[in-house]
Amino acid sequence: MSTVARRPPGTEPRRSSSRGDAANSWINVALHWIARWEVGLCLLIVIVVAGSSAASSNFLTPFNLETMALNATVLGFLALGVAPVIMTGDIDLSIASTLALCGVVMAVLWQHGLNIWVAAGLAIILGGILGLVNGLVVVMFELPSLAVTLGSMSTYTGIAFLILQGKAIINFPASLVQLGSGGLFGSDFPIASAILLICAAILAFVIHRTAFGKSIFAIGGNRQAARFSGVPVARTRILVFVIAGAFAALAAIFYLGNFDTAQANMAADQLLPAITAVILGGVSAYGGSGTIQGVVLALVLLQLLETGLGVAGLSGQEQTISVGILLIIAISGGAAIGAVRNRFRRREHRSSIALSATSETEEVSQTASINVEDHSTHEQGYESVP
Amino acid sequence: MNAPLVRPGLWERGRFGLARLFRIREVGLISIVVIVSIVAAISIPAFRNGVNLRELLNNAAVVAIVAIGESLVLLTRQIDLSVGAILGLSAFITGSLLGQLSGIGGIGVILIALLLPIFIGIVLGSINGVLISFARMPAIIATLATLSIYSGLQVVVSGGSQVYAYQLPTWLSQLYTTSWLGVGSFVWIAVVWVVLFSFVMRILRWGRDLYAMGSNPEAARYMAIPTRRRTIQAFVVCGALAGFGGLLYIAQYGNVDATAGAGFELTVIAGAVVGGVSLFGGSGSPLGAALGAVLLLEIENVLALLKISIFAQQTLQGVAIISAVALYAVLMRRSQQPATRNRSQSDNDTPQIVKTEVQQ
Repeated sequence: MSTVARRPPGTEPRRSSSRGDAANSWINVALHWIARWEVGLCLLIVIVVAGSSAASSNFLTPFNLETMALNATVLGFLALGVAPVIMTGDIDLSIASTLALCGVVMAVLWQHGLNIWVAAGLAIILGGILGLVNGLVVVMFELPSLAVTLGSMSTYTGIAFLILQGKAIINFPASLVQLGSGGLFGSDFPIASAILLICAAILAFVIHRTAFGKSIFAIGGNRQAARFSGVPVARTRILVFVIAGAFAALAAIFYLGNFDTAQANMAADQLLPAITAVILGGVSAYGGSGTIQGVVLALVLLQLLETGLGVAGLSGQEQTISVGILLIIAISGGAAIGAVRNRFRRREHRSSIALSATSETEEVSQTASINVEDHSTHEQGYESVP
Repeated sequence: MNAPLVRPGLWERGRFGLARLFRIREVGLISIVVIVSIVAAISIPAFRNGVNLRELLNNAAVVAIVAIGESLVLLTRQIDLSVGAILGLSAFITGSLLGQLSGIGGIGVILIALLLPIFIGIVLGSINGVLISFARMPAIIATLATLSIYSGLQVVVSGGSQVYAYQLPTWLSQLYTTSWLGVGSFVWIAVVWVVLFSFVMRILRWGRDLYAMGSNPEAARYMAIPTRRRTIQAFVVCGALAGFGGLLYIAQYGNVDATAGAGFELTVIAGAVVGGVSLFGGSGSPLGAALGAVLLLEIENVLALLKISIFAQQTLQGVAIISAVALYAVLMRRSQQPATRNRSQSDNDTPQIVKTEVQQ
């Protein structure tokens, strides 16, 4: 009796429960699809494209699009590589330095007479090893990845400088330049972008469809819980650093192909944009959520925005400011949408509990089956808890 | 019942004496700084040179002051990547204003010179704080965004112009070479800030709140610590100190351009980390951060004097950061063995619980 009276206005349990509940769940489903991060990114992309092509007729020319696609390639590989690391709740600040070191080693090997493709293969292996070093130090000593990769960032750049001694290597073979800046089958679509998309697709499959990917999100969500449920935490965390290193090495190959020069400080300014792209792509900075598709869309958005602002006559620094503001708006806006969604979900949850006990048991059995499924996916990678 | 499980003597070992003294981080840091200085002074004559020492100490003082601010933020388990941009922006605005006021003397100008950079720092720091505690952005993202915004603003404000040393009031440009009681003015200023913030962080409730928030944010909230307000305040203080660092930056270099302060944040964070401020929050001190900055710059200075190439210096600096972090992690784990080790190893949990129950 009194419990009803004490409720704040507007939260009384509905009499016509079935209709109200249906409406609520409809809203919920709609919100679930509309409030997806990727939808927001697509919307922003449409707005930027519409605005920029209204501002200038030169915006959507094939040449302009090709340049944009090429410019986004190196950044794209860096961002895709670091995305899994951020999904596990770690961070890798050394990706740009890994790019530089791998590029320098590849260039030097080539200069000493090695075939450029063998050198590229070795560079990818080196990238994996550099990532492995990061991962091992972070996991084995239980250190904050921020501090470790801050250290390895200067270490790797320093080694790159030591190898080149301030010089630059230029004039790479035509085949590499063709790979880095040529078009696919003679068309305007760059080969590099095609390879980037293929790599993104493979990565998306690995992250979103395999047990390994599931364990990445489990670790990012709750490391302790992941360990107790048998997720190979140490191995997965090390492996994502290896992925980041290998992708940075891939970025190095395309950097050499596109810009045709190897310097020790190359791409040093790409670190923060890469992390920006990952975060703007909807990957939580605390780990545990995000999609590769979102990162790719964020890359497209950033590139379009940069070019669009350039077309609109803004200077490079004003573009940087705009990207910073966009990042703030996107992240805090995303948090606001999430809060609204949670409120709806909680209300629905509350009414479902009030409604009937049968639906609740159904829910429980559902969660139980999900748990079983989860266990079976992780079984191959079962690791004994130390 | 199971009395052998409790062996108090084992863990209390080393409570007194030299071993205990060296467990205090700052003591270890000071002794390393002193040892490095003595060895360097004996083996490298150029290190003893007055100009070199002044240069080193002044450089270290600026980094140390900003590192104190950064340490407050790190202690609350946050991070501020925008300190370099705040320093640069405040240096440029203050410098250009002082350049325009160059004809006018008097106490008013001195007051402007002192208060304007701090005010700029407070404004920029509070933007960081509000984004993090009210817009609920992760600190690393928010300050990454404000880093690009502030450094972009610096370029826009400057419009390609520069502030030159001759435009500055003489007392400011001479501050760099002034020394009181044989010790450089920058060092005195840094010492004042260190003493002030050591007091604040050790004694005042405000400081203890920051530690509590860093050690366990959840528990801090339950203890009715106003965590949001404290977070904003930590960022404001950090911004204020970075802004003040901007003033010293002008005094040090005289020329300020659009790129002033770029990359400074990494040196500051590295200094704080070498000084034992944990990136996981709750552990470390302003004094440690300042000492870490001094140690980092001292090593850099020695390497430069040994004519080791600047590139190898960078490598060694990176290695130094990693090994410092690793060392602190090992020391921390050893000193907290009975308390923390069991937290990660569930098997050992039971004896720990039994122990506390027996004691009660």
